[in-house]
Amino acid sequence: MVLQRFALGLLVVAAFAAMLIGKADTVLVENARVLALDLASPALEAIARPVAYANRVIADLKEFASLREENARLREENSRLLAWQTAARRLENENDRLRELSQFREGPEASFITARIVGDSVSAYVRGALLNVGRRAGVTTGQAVVTGEGLAGRIAEVGDNSSRVLFVTDVNSRLPVLVERTRERAILAGDNSSQLRLNLLQGVAGVQRGDRIVTSGDGGSFPVGIPVGEVIQSSEGHIRIRPFADFSRLEFVRVVNYGVTGLVTANPQAAPAPPAGQKVR
Amino acid sequence: MRADGTIALLDRMGRAALPGTVLLYFVVLTLAPLRVPYLSDALPLLPALVVFQYSLATPERLPGPFLLAAGVLLDLLLGGPGAPVGVSALGFVLIRAAVMANRRYLVGVPFLFQWVGFCLLSWGYVIVVWLLTALFTWTAIDPTPAMMQYAVVIVIYPLLGPLLARVRPRDPLNVPELSRGTARPGETTS
Repeated sequence: MVLQRFALGLLVVAAFAAMLIGKADTVLVENARVLALDLASPALEAIARPVAYANRVIADLKEFASLREENARLREENSRLLAWQTAARRLENENDRLRELSQFREGPEASFITARIVGDSVSAYVRGALLNVGRRAGVTTGQAVVTGEGLAGRIAEVGDNSSRVLFVTDVNSRLPVLVERTRERAILAGDNSSQLRLNLLQGVAGVQRGDRIVTSGDGGSFPVGIPVGEVIQSSEGHIRIRPFADFSRLEFVRVVNYGVTGLVTANPQAAPAPPAGQKVR
Repeated sequence: MRADGTIALLDRMGRAALPGTVLLYFVVLTLAPLRVPYLSDALPLLPALVVFQYSLATPERLPGPFLLAAGVLLDLLLGGPGAPVGVSALGFVLIRAAVMANRRYLVGVPFLFQWVGFCLLSWGYVIVVWLLTALFTWTAIDPTPAMMQYAVVIVIYPLLGPLLARVRPRDPLNVPELSRGTARPGETTS
């Protein structure tokens, strides 16, 4: 009995020691996390495939029910988008010509790494996901992760063949953004709920419901103008954003390789330093 | 004990490894992208359920140091920058100790009592994890999602618990005294 008590005490002390070490030596914990991710990701991938398949079958069945309406809606949307495409082409040409005239130097070209989500890292305390690409594919910490609809988050940890995304909705996520219409700069913060909070640097004046929020590119690691979300509520000092990305049904995402690694990997040995304006506790 | 054949040896090893394997499976499953509403929220608490159930059934096959390692692994995998590593480990170890200390109220009693026991212990677990996470990250974390997880896992327990507990009736210690014969703990009955 005494021995058991002693063993229990020892285990509790060991657990607390682990917590303290984690607090003191973030690099060690970071490496341990990456190792655990690399070890677990093959198993996860094995689990994720059938699950993704089942999810797809269910989604397909649901879609069959509304095929006709969906078709009509898409046809209408297609005609509207074609009009937009014409407008975009015209603007692109015009932009090119104006750039030539003013000898504007464009930012680096972005390339994409497509990844499958093999794991959810969603609990009461974290909002994130695991990807099946890592350092070997060219992923580094701080890169933007986008879906077809908009920004999903950024890479927080990278292993050899796996990486962890921190969603914009995570409580630790701070993102420099622009209000697209007014070009006002702001910081977008997550709070683990499905919506985001916009902290304006200047006054809140001028932000309306329906305004689109895009990345501002401050800090250098994100391309400018990735859509993030839209304002759904704007009352005194309290602006809520609905992210465009649908986190409940992510399957594939793209990691944006923006060429410049900016401030993020200035010191690759250190724990991932947040880009300017992005605060990580 | 007579000399065992290979099959019997494999059988014993399998039995010894089962609780640990199930626990590790649920630890990895925590990350699986199951997009089932409610259930996927409760996934991070399922390892605690497994620890509770196997501490009841076969504590000797789930030793403390192993729980410590599994808890640290769970924390590493669940991750998130700044989240303390070792909270789940502490929770697991405490659950095991609490179950061991209260075996007489939890073993061989109607299922409802075990359920109540699980409700109480997992409540403690959720509180400890929430409190320590809040302390270590020094932020006021909204407790609602944690409470939601707790509510779901309580409801799941009657579904999953008995299934896991099926390892138990084979254990001689859980066979009524009379039919136990000369079997020793850990030995299998035929």
